[in-house]
Amino acid sequence: MQKKLTMPKLRPEMEKGVLCAWLKEEGEKVEAGEPVFEVETDKVVQQIEASESGILSKQLAEEGDEISVFDSVGIIDT
Amino acid sequence: MLTITNSSKDPFYNLALEEYIFNNYTEDDIFFMWQDEPSVIVGSYQNILREVSVLDLEKQHIPILRRMTGGGTVYHDNGNINYTYITTQAGMIDYADCVKPVIDGLNALGIPAHQNRTCDIAINGEKISGSAQRMVRKRLLHHGTLLFSSDLDRLFTITMKDKNDNIQSKGTLSAICPVTNIIEYLPKPLSIEDFQENLQNQILGTGATEITLNENDQAEIRKLRDKYMSWEWIWQKTPPFTYQKSGTFCNAPIAVRYSAKKGILYDVEIHSQHINFQQAADLFEQSKLDLSLLREKCHLLTSKNGDELLTFFT
Repeated sequence: MQKKLTMPKLRPEMEKGVLCAWLKEEGEKVEAGEPVFEVETDKVVQQIEASESGILSKQLAEEGDEISVFDSVGIIDT
Repeated sequence: MLTITNSSKDPFYNLALEEYIFNNYTEDDIFFMWQDEPSVIVGSYQNILREVSVLDLEKQHIPILRRMTGGGTVYHDNGNINYTYITTQAGMIDYADCVKPVIDGLNALGIPAHQNRTCDIAINGEKISGSAQRMVRKRLLHHGTLLFSSDLDRLFTITMKDKNDNIQSKGTLSAICPVTNIIEYLPKPLSIEDFQENLQNQILGTGATEITLNENDQAEIRKLRDKYMSWEWIWQKTPPFTYQKSGTFCNAPIAVRYSAKKGILYDVEIHSQHINFQQAADLFEQSKLDLSLLREKCHLLTSKNGDELLTFFT
């Protein structure tokens, strides 16, 4: 099954966040709870973890892209 | 609450110590204070070339470091005190919770500090403290500066004046705002050491436990220190950018253009009657974004005017 990775809402005021780094490559295995990417918004850098295990099949956003909250940034094949 | 006494003023060691504490003490709340020798610290994903003049800082022997938290560029000196607050936060991050212990501590010392903007602390609307955060799982590291008697002219010159507009890039920009020093607002005179101790006592109260580090811990911290000193950490994390600068070089027009991704230059063009275009393109292609390396290559192209040529790269 394909699960979408989305830009999380980290603060009540947050509308967009910058995907500043991918911590996994396309095609790489990801365990549930492992950090997959880093987001920066309003002075905080936060590591975002996968909620399910699988393969990171697609990175939909590039490092440095600004993404609206809840928009997809990648796909995990579970 | 845990705390640690850190008398080191080595900015590289201090960032390493902070990361080690963050990674290895994952239960209790932790608060500690520390100072750095003069240094510039950029945010996790900032473009150093945009934020500061690397050539000016090199002349002044001020090192440039990259931290692991977000936000903008800060200048630390002996008149500035840093604090680190590590806590557990379930749900969304609340900055008011992070700065409150410090504001309460300052107020208890008779200093009329208040929260300003997202997570600054100010007196009468002038900033005395900026802060930034990193969140991993449910653990939040919040750290900030406290301008006590910093050289504000130097701070302005280094971090605010003349941002480099030759760069097209994504990445985090720094905020520009009026600043002041805490020392102007003390009810009675205090040395910076006494101020730090008083504020720390206010914030910790009684019953904080001191963290002690053994030789193993110190060895791990030294490894992290090496990371903070490395080209990979400082330059490779630069967001992709393109650069363009023109002017006069040896009494003739010059234009320099290049792109860089993960700290590596490509598509380098030097348009100047004094420089062989192809030789320059070949020499700089895939070169690391590293000041001494770029200087070396500029001198290879033009032995007499290498330093002048270098200014068109930064």
